[in-house]
Amino acid sequence: MTMKRMCSALAALSAASFAIQAGAQESGPTVTISGFGTAALTSTDTNDAEFIRPNQASGVKKDWRTGVDSNFGIQATVKVNDMISFTGQGLVRKDAIDHYRAQAAWAFAKFKINDDFSVRVGRMGAPIYMISDFRNVGYANTMLRPPAEVYRQVTLDSFDGVDLLYQHSFGDTALSVQLGTGRADVDQPAQNIEFRKMLLLHVVAENGPFTLRFGRAQADFSVVDNPTLTGLVTTLRTVGLGSVANMMPLNDVKGTFTSVGGTMDWKNVVLQAEYAMRRTDTLIVHDTNSWYAMAGYRFGKVLPYYYHGSIKQKSDRSVAGLPTTGPLAPLGAGVNNLAKAALQTSDAIGVRWDFYKSLALKVQVDHIKPKDGPGAFINTKPGFNESVNVYAVALDFVF
Amino acid sequence: MDKRIKPLLAAAMMCAALPALAAEIVVVVNPKNPASRMFSEQAAQFFLGKSTLFTPIEHTEGPLRNEFSQKVLGKDSAQVKAQWSKLVFTGKGTAPKEYGSSAEVKKAVAADVQAIGYIEKSAVDDSVKVILTVQ
Repeated sequence: MTMKRMCSALAALSAASFAIQAGAQESGPTVTISGFGTAALTSTDTNDAEFIRPNQASGVKKDWRTGVDSNFGIQATVKVNDMISFTGQGLVRKDAIDHYRAQAAWAFAKFKINDDFSVRVGRMGAPIYMISDFRNVGYANTMLRPPAEVYRQVTLDSFDGVDLLYQHSFGDTALSVQLGTGRADVDQPAQNIEFRKMLLLHVVAENGPFTLRFGRAQADFSVVDNPTLTGLVTTLRTVGLGSVANMMPLNDVKGTFTSVGGTMDWKNVVLQAEYAMRRTDTLIVHDTNSWYAMAGYRFGKVLPYYYHGSIKQKSDRSVAGLPTTGPLAPLGAGVNNLAKAALQTSDAIGVRWDFYKSLALKVQVDHIKPKDGPGAFINTKPGFNESVNVYAVALDFVF
Repeated sequence: MDKRIKPLLAAAMMCAALPALAAEIVVVVNPKNPASRMFSEQAAQFFLGKSTLFTPIEHTEGPLRNEFSQKVLGKDSAQVKAQWSKLVFTGKGTAPKEYGSSAEVKKAVAADVQAIGYIEKSAVDDSVKVILTVQ
């Protein structure tokens, strides 16, 4: 055992014994209010399609708009004593419903069992991605927005349930593990998704400037309130294409999302990357592999960065044996459309400038190339398949 | 050289030399805390929210905090703030309380057995215990 480790161990021991004393002489609940937000303007160089963040019902074209990248969050934590605290966070942004609205991002009670373990109950951030928990907090991130190639694969922010948090330092390496279970209902623009029997694992190891992260999320999900889709499945069965209908179950479909990621912030070099695999048992939610990598260099308060994001579909992009002629041809085309994941690549350059305390200004330009379809753009003109430049200016703040 | 520029230049040079003259910073804990010494890396864990064994007490933004952030945490204050906003807005941590002077930080550390703070060396007295001198 090194001297250093012995010191930490001793410090840990002594602090643990003092925690009990401190708990005994508590001084009533304390309330902390904090907030974050982003005021942003976004536009593109086309009027043929709308650029959105994942799960938004409308986006931007050539006219500058605030809706895509702006948000405002406020959080209150009531610390009852050293063991129990309550946290609530409200978030205002544009999402599946096409106007700014407030959502209860999370509301949970946290019980600290000891210095290593805590249990939380309530509505909590779902740790699907590396930056899931703070992806809405622009100030906490280098990039202006999370790369869509990865971050649109599971449009889920929070879940209702319980999780166990474990935090421990092994020498210079800090390990944190989050294991959660519960359920979630997610509004999407034309349907809702119900996630049940969720199991979420999030493991982060930090050592000095390096962070490594592994995540695994699984759930049984159902697509609800989508009459077009249920209608299609019924039609397929009536016209004798039951085998095709069987390929697209809408209820209790098993889905998994596995991802690894890492960050480095060393000697002014800032790196961040993630690789993710989505797998499901239904044709309409495609199997995909997606990734992004970002590199930046810090010149004092100015941090220019570049990232590349990409996605590949692993499941078939069309279904064999569908009718291509005759009266059923449109049906076949419809099914084949559903089988196609939105493919695209992004190259973005941006700069973050910490020009004043608690304020950061960001400018980012994305060059997005859709592949074999319209990519992640919405309300596209028929046949749209062009590259688009997306421009954004954002002011991030925390208080 | 123009005579009017000379005093300006001298003043500028003094300003540039100031960091070297800055007050020596020490990390302090409550006298009841049995810890007797600590490494920079260990102290940094508390001020970056990576360990919750001790409760960090911060200074409001200013030269002292900047120097501590640079020397002990290896980051500038904006980076430290960004790090804390990750913890705060995920409900995983509470940002340190901030005080405007070494005297106030000292008072807060003296009042809480779990607290850890940093102050100018000249402000040290019996109410706190020094466990690290910032180099």
